[in-house]
Amino acid sequence: MIRPEEILNTVDMIQKENLDVRAVTMGISLLDCHRATVEQTCEAIKDKIKRHAGNLVATCEAVSAEYSVPVVNKRVSITPIAHVGAGFDAAGFVKIAKALDEAAAEIGIDFLGGFSADVSSGATLGDYELIASIPEALTCTKKVCASVNVGTTRSGINMDAVVLLGRTVKDLAERSSEQGGFAAAKFVIFTNQPGDNPFMAGAIHGLGQPEIVINVGVSGPGVIARALERRIAQAGSENLGLHDLAEEIKRTAFRVTRCGELIGRQVARALNVPFGVVDLSLAPTPNVGDSVGEIIQILGVDAIGAPGSTAIVALLNDAVKKGGAFASQSVGGLSGAFIPVCEDQALANAVRDESLVLEKLEAMTSVCSVGLDMIAIPGSVDAETISAIIADEMAIGMINNKTTAVRVIPVPGKEAGEFVSFGGLFGESAIAPVRNAGKSARFIQFAGKIPAPIHSLRN
Amino acid sequence: MSDTQHFVISIISRDRIGIIYEVTKAISELEGNIAEVRQSVLSGYFTMILLASFPSTVNQRAIERKLAEADSHSESAIEAVVRKADESALSKSSSSASEHTYVLTATGNDRIGFVATMTSFCVRHNANILDLSTTVSDGAYVMILVIDLNHTVSINDVRRDLQQFSLENNIKVVLQHYDIFRALNEINLPIR
Repeated sequence: MIRPEEILNTVDMIQKENLDVRAVTMGISLLDCHRATVEQTCEAIKDKIKRHAGNLVATCEAVSAEYSVPVVNKRVSITPIAHVGAGFDAAGFVKIAKALDEAAAEIGIDFLGGFSADVSSGATLGDYELIASIPEALTCTKKVCASVNVGTTRSGINMDAVVLLGRTVKDLAERSSEQGGFAAAKFVIFTNQPGDNPFMAGAIHGLGQPEIVINVGVSGPGVIARALERRIAQAGSENLGLHDLAEEIKRTAFRVTRCGELIGRQVARALNVPFGVVDLSLAPTPNVGDSVGEIIQILGVDAIGAPGSTAIVALLNDAVKKGGAFASQSVGGLSGAFIPVCEDQALANAVRDESLVLEKLEAMTSVCSVGLDMIAIPGSVDAETISAIIADEMAIGMINNKTTAVRVIPVPGKEAGEFVSFGGLFGESAIAPVRNAGKSARFIQFAGKIPAPIHSLRN
Repeated sequence: MSDTQHFVISIISRDRIGIIYEVTKAISELEGNIAEVRQSVLSGYFTMILLASFPSTVNQRAIERKLAEADSHSESAIEAVVRKADESALSKSSSSASEHTYVLTATGNDRIGFVATMTSFCVRHNANILDLSTTVSDGAYVMILVIDLNHTVSINDVRRDLQQFSLENNIKVVLQHYDIFRALNEINLPIR
């Protein structure tokens, strides 16, 4: 029998410390849904999604009730739509986006990811049509999320695409200016994008994945923060080294990941669908006590962004992976620590207080997962500068053989230091200044390709 | 008729060194063979329950007398209760976690009847209590019951009734399948 102290510990993790399953995402291959016309393709897509994911929400809720662990988000990811809609034009892709949106609404999920393309070695005609459709597609739908993979360590970075997508981000923001540019929050640009990530907005059901799969993302920044506080209180900070704190994070990450492993497998079993991966990323929410930024502060910086912040994130990211890897039979997705500014109260406050700046965030992304995520920037920043920000982040991913991404939200009509409110879960977010804006046009105008690094030649 | 018979023996005593030795020595002197033992210590008191088989020549009176003898030599009194075991009951395997095992955590203000109130709910829903412990956490009284809902008709009914129970008695209750505790606290993942 499990000891009573352990039972209470587990109950507290869930009831008081915000341990939950952050996302259960069903990945569905739509490769067999291409038809002669756009309308027929839309019908085939809607039909397949409803057929496979019709019971997803209800099943997640039942499993959630059984263990009293919240399953916060139920989602679907699809084959990058550029493959499915190849041959159609931008207008056709917009129709497909609407069909995806309808299907998502009907089955009751909160987001559907995969309105995507991979252009890392170059873009096909279909890829260009998909990219051209993104601004309209994301502003006339609610639940569809888009992403484009512009680079890999093996193929280099497609700078032609980066140039194009800087403008796409601006366009998305301008078209949704009434919502503070929020459409840009549904679009991510990647290098080394994984095909099995359950988190939005960058979730896709990549090529090479099976027909249907269930992937799970857990979340426990609160659990880790409280565990660290207890350890420090119990032993005294003067008696602890960073390695002791790393150990505490590792052990706690084991428990957090196990939660997702159990629940994900039960959902997969109930739906008779193969279980894919647990993404053991530490993913925060704007809720109090659910913050990665708070962990950074507990690990010793008074202000997030102060010297030491990068080292701390490196330690945290690694410890999470070690604990999580033992907890799960198959780990995948992004699997690291997220630092999404607007989605984390402590990070958002640090930007507001100007202790955390874009440049430091960029440094931190080299040692954690995701990248420059959910950062509000001034609406006046030009497209070339946005492209250059993307290029910097993509280079970090390409050289370091890791996934990096950019999801920035230019807020039309607002400048650095002002605030934007996106509503819903999001609180007020400060707009981060972009230093040296407007000075990268010549670099961007070269475009072309950044060649793959020499260490990609591994044979 | 078999040549051995089983007896259940229950022991209670102030905790000290030597109790288990004295009891098991007495049993072996009667040629008793111990099949299963459980013991625990609570607040300085020791309790043990054991199942032993004895030759058919030994009866309950003989065991009681032998244990009383062990008692008279020892430093503090051992109280023993001896009962002939119902042979048909012995074939049941000891209760361990099955797929119908749940954990019920009840939190509320300490009051007379807390445990009785909670356990009467279990009785009404045909839930067998496999393990029970109580503790204090954050100033509130917490009861942890590991229960077997194998004979419960509908778990959804239990959940619904629990919500009602919680409101009526001002006790916060959480009902979770046992596997979540195993998954988070054991190395092996409980996959069925």
